[in-house]
Amino acid sequence: MNKTWIVTTETYLRQIKSWSFLMLVLMPFLFIAFTFGISYFAVPDAAKSDVAIISSQTALRKSFIKSSDVATTSKYTTQKRAQQATKRGDINGYLVLATKGQRVTATYHGPDELSSGEQAKIQRFLTTAQAQLNLQRAQLTPNQTQALAVQPQFKQRLQKKTASDQIAKRVSFYIIVFFVYLILTTYSSITAQEIAAEKGTKIMEVIFSSTTPRKYFNGKVYGVLLVICTQLLVYLIGGIAVVQLAERSRLTADFWQQNVDVISQVLHNLLSINLLFALLAVLLYTIISAFCGALVTRVEDAGKAAQPVVYLNLLTFAVAFAFQSNPTSPFVTVFSYVPFFSSYLMPLRLINGNATMIEAVIALGLLIVTIIGSMLYIGRIYGGLMLQTDDLGLWGNFKRGLQLK
Amino acid sequence: MLSVTNISKTFGTVKALNNVSFDVHDGEIMGLIGQNGAGKSTTFHSILNFLSFDGQITWNGQPLSASDYDQIGYLPEERSLMPKLTITQQIVYLARLKNQPANVTKSKIASWMKRFAVKGQPNDRIKNLSKGNQQKVQLICTLIHDPQLIILDEPFSGLDPVNADLLKAAIIDAKKRGATIIFSSHDMSNVEEVCDSLVMLRNGQVVLNGTIDGVREQFGRTRLFLTTDWSADRLAALPGVIDVKPLGTERYQLRLADATAGEAIFDQVTAGHYIREFSQQPPTLDEIFRTEAGGPQHE
Repeated sequence: MNKTWIVTTETYLRQIKSWSFLMLVLMPFLFIAFTFGISYFAVPDAAKSDVAIISSQTALRKSFIKSSDVATTSKYTTQKRAQQATKRGDINGYLVLATKGQRVTATYHGPDELSSGEQAKIQRFLTTAQAQLNLQRAQLTPNQTQALAVQPQFKQRLQKKTASDQIAKRVSFYIIVFFVYLILTTYSSITAQEIAAEKGTKIMEVIFSSTTPRKYFNGKVYGVLLVICTQLLVYLIGGIAVVQLAERSRLTADFWQQNVDVISQVLHNLLSINLLFALLAVLLYTIISAFCGALVTRVEDAGKAAQPVVYLNLLTFAVAFAFQSNPTSPFVTVFSYVPFFSSYLMPLRLINGNATMIEAVIALGLLIVTIIGSMLYIGRIYGGLMLQTDDLGLWGNFKRGLQLK
Repeated sequence: MLSVTNISKTFGTVKALNNVSFDVHDGEIMGLIGQNGAGKSTTFHSILNFLSFDGQITWNGQPLSASDYDQIGYLPEERSLMPKLTITQQIVYLARLKNQPANVTKSKIASWMKRFAVKGQPNDRIKNLSKGNQQKVQLICTLIHDPQLIILDEPFSGLDPVNADLLKAAIIDAKKRGATIIFSSHDMSNVEEVCDSLVMLRNGQVVLNGTIDGVREQFGRTRLFLTTDWSADRLAALPGVIDVKPLGTERYQLRLADATAGEAIFDQVTAGHYIREFSQQPPTLDEIFRTEAGGPQHE
């Protein structure tokens, strides 16, 4: 079997079996589940929020249940049973509908006042029902009925840059920036520490007597890349499940309906070339982290190994935040092509519509060239760096490593 | 056969190896000896291509390359395993890197653990093993894929005599199946007992190279073991005797300036009569190491 592949699978399996990886992957879902749980307990449960509709006029009752938009239950048909259910706390209360002397009436019975929204819905139904009743009583000709049926019209002509558009951009930016920052910091630390720990245990001499440093280095990077892909896949599947759940759950369905445009725009921004920028950024940072890990000489220094990459990530993150409201700045335009920065700044420009797809592809191309160049160069000097065990400081270790091979 | 021809390596201003040459044949065990810093590990690292160097190293007539790695078993001086892995995971992983399938390795692990008397179960984590047992696991990792070129850097260090004997037996078994073996050691008795030949390095240069007996004979039979009722002072006064070291009751070791002095001493001490012991020997490897490894100032 190809030795690069052996190292890849070993790295991959060791990582995904670790508790830290499980926690990393599950954390967002636990967070969402926790938020849902809080909302679930904070909001009255489904049965309790229902209102029973009681009426001797079956047609009126059915019409209310069908068209009022009020959360109702058809389980209770008599006032006595509805009263008992209210007492037991099974339902919120009950609404008695009637037509007295050509007037449609509705009386709500319950321990608490109905929300203003529910009251408005009931009022709207009553107005419609009363209008229909009035029309019947007036015995109008069809022409008169038609004339009275004319409704006023309300239209909105929105500009291109609407408020929802702005919200979608802002949400997309925040999600991308925080996601990239989090994932880069995590994997930079994991990679640098693992490489530094391996170097510290001196097992590299045994491994390099079995395979070339380049093959080993490539195998490590591919292994970490597979781990990241696994994490993204889990997020994708989990994200689809959360979306499905949010669309159907009565806790979030209203919110979903109201913001469906924003949400779909955010999803569009995330599941696009921006995802590729994120993935390639992680790959580049992983390679540089491996390099940093190879520069330290003691297991105890493994934590220090990741620092340069973590600081670089922090810098690019800060720059992206500083220019979030000014994506047309020449600085952003220039640095959106520079690897390390491009993973934050090009998505920023794309989200705001300040960059064309051709510009994005150019930035992507530069990123890929940098990745390939880094892999080739670090793969070449990796053996020397990993076998150099004198503690001469990062720069001294680098120079000594170059002398070995 | 492994051939090392005129290899040199410089670190900054330090010449770590200077025109080092030797051959090790198939089925031969060679001891690489020398003081700390003499260049033993640098020689091993050069053979393993860890370092760039001047000169040539060939394995079976070809420059040693990555394609030969599967035939190499290497035990580094600093013991190193992955502490979080189990014994089986560790051995299988390293053997897979030598292109030995996992199922083949797994079928061998129990017998190798028994052979080296490893105290622990295959599913025990490396970090839970004693230092000695970790060292034995590393030896198993070095040998389990039946390598043809075995390089052991200080394999006996840290092993008690019982475990050292187990390792010697494993090395001799590998020799019997035709493997080429080099090991470094500071314990000359191990070298004398196991090796067919030796190379001594001093400051990166070869100062001794040959079979064990050949190297010893180079120094002449200048050690005389004698059991006699003569006193030490009387023996010291004999011509050609440098010094006399009492070894027990009426037993002495005489150091001679020249091996040829032995004949005259024999005549004088025996005077034609029987004596219990008169044995003229070359210096031991240990004595040679003490005088040669450190250079003239140690003589």
